[in-house]
Amino acid sequence: MTLPSPLVLVIEDDPQMRRFLRASLTANGYRTIEAKDGRDALALAGTHNPEIVLLDLGLPDRDGVDVTRGLREVVRASILVVSARGREDDKVAALDAGADDYLTKPFGVRELLARMRVALRHGHERDGSMSELVLGELRVDFDRRRVFCDDQEVHLTPLEYRLLALLAQNLGRVLTHAHILREVWGPAYVSHTHYVRVHMAELRKKIERQPARPKLLVTEPGVGYRLREPPAPEGVRSRS
Amino acid sequence: MLSGWFEARRSIESCEGSSPPTRGVGYASAVAMVTVVAAVTLLLRAQLALPDVVMIYLLVVTVVAARWGRAPSLLAAALSVAAYDFFFIPPFFRFAVADLRHLFTFAMMLTIGAIMGGLTDRLRKEEREARAAILSARTEAMRSSLLSSISHDLRTPLATITGAATTLRDDRGAVDREQRSELVATICEEAERLERLVANLLDMTRLEAGQPVRREWVPLDELVASASMRLERELGERTVTVEVAGDVPLAHVDPVLFEQLLVNLLDNAAKHTPSHTPVEIRVSSVGGDVVVELADRGPGIAPGDEDRLFGRFERGRSAPPGGVGLGLAICRAIAEAHGGAVTAENRTGGGAVFRVTLPHSATDAPSPHTPEMAPEEVS
Repeated sequence: MTLPSPLVLVIEDDPQMRRFLRASLTANGYRTIEAKDGRDALALAGTHNPEIVLLDLGLPDRDGVDVTRGLREVVRASILVVSARGREDDKVAALDAGADDYLTKPFGVRELLARMRVALRHGHERDGSMSELVLGELRVDFDRRRVFCDDQEVHLTPLEYRLLALLAQNLGRVLTHAHILREVWGPAYVSHTHYVRVHMAELRKKIERQPARPKLLVTEPGVGYRLREPPAPEGVRSRS
Repeated sequence: MLSGWFEARRSIESCEGSSPPTRGVGYASAVAMVTVVAAVTLLLRAQLALPDVVMIYLLVVTVVAARWGRAPSLLAAALSVAAYDFFFIPPFFRFAVADLRHLFTFAMMLTIGAIMGGLTDRLRKEEREARAAILSARTEAMRSSLLSSISHDLRTPLATITGAATTLRDDRGAVDREQRSELVATICEEAERLERLVANLLDMTRLEAGQPVRREWVPLDELVASASMRLERELGERTVTVEVAGDVPLAHVDPVLFEQLLVNLLDNAAKHTPSHTPVEIRVSSVGGDVVVELADRGPGIAPGDEDRLFGRFERGRSAPPGGVGLGLAICRAIAEAHGGAVTAENRTGGGAVFRVTLPHSATDAPSPHTPEMAPEEVS
């Protein structure tokens, strides 16, 4: 692939954090532009059209959720929000306002790069439909609506299949409870989070080798669920 | 080192418990005692000389003064004067005084009552002040030892990180590859340790501040799963088995906090048990309460430590270095914030078992059976 290096807009008020992000992202084949606050961020996003936005939710001048909303109006970029642990409500609010995924501070560069890869892929493949997904021992045949675990066919209820299909379309990306409820049960059920939990637990029993130690279908406490990819080589070095 | 916290707390409680007797009790006792003495002296009137009677009344005044202070003792003195006058001073059974010399006796009784009562009041006040001084000194000592413990535990990983990072920065080729990766690993691990410590301190502060618990209906096996996943690296070679009884209802808990509780229990097991030993998690329902048990085959709990373990900054006597003794305290705080409890005991055959009990929820759990088909038909 000879695509130009993807451009990342880093919105972060702490200079040391910007320095770390600049160094690790550049080293891994990304180009970066930086904004110190929400105002700069919106201006830069409009003029530079980045592919990925890394947004710290604790900005000095504006509420992170408002910035997310503002960014959504000007760019199509994937938005990754960054916030501290214990601020799950902020993350959920930002995700519901249009952010694509989140990272909890402090995070390692491996985690950051994994999220960026997922974000880039979803940016490129928007609305792309796949016919098959293979994740470790799990194989989903979307054309025939059949699911296999270790080559054994797994019988899912229609609801479980819809859950799995939704997660598969968003592979690697977190989905909030509200998002899942809206997509699978319908807008009237958005507050019934225990529906999601109960059926996810059932689904996990069917597609995980060790449901008590899930490898694929992971819970993001207080936020939602994520269908995780098995670990892949790091960075986007293959691009350059 | 920090067990002083408990002592200080206990002494605060005991101090509050033995507050000085209230004035009302003092007045009532003064009236009662003078009445009894008046009745007794009246009965023994024939046997008693007048000075004896005066002494008996003075005794009552003194006792009331010593016990209840000035105001009740003045009341006792006044009543004694009245009773003495009424029963023993001619004309009898009238409050009049024929011989004015008796007024001198009355004045003496009142004066002694006032002086004795005043003395008692002053002693009481000094005692209270002394006790408050001791208490504030203890609280101060507790606070500074807390602070020194926290700053020690924050500084140790920071010192390691700074040391390793500057070694790498200032290296002129003397550090070989193996040492280099060793230093980098140290930096990462110590940073994680710092993060865990800060997270625990924040959790503790939040729970202490009474931040509300955001309850949702959750299947506990999901929380157990995500907790054991977060601790995968720490648990290493230990086999974690999870057993969830079929009749366990959904739990009404704050998923983030309750997961943290489980993470801390698992972390505790990972710290204190040898590698390759089993960790068993059992979720069951006992009389409507949901019970989560985490059993290990580690060294068990030293006798008498079963409750102390859950104290803040308390560490088991055989605990390996590196912890701060906050994890289990947070477990307790989280369980209690949910109206539940967490206990620990040794299990037969060796090892410890930690038991979290969540009370039967006031409202009924919603049925886990949700509408199977979505309103709009599956395509």
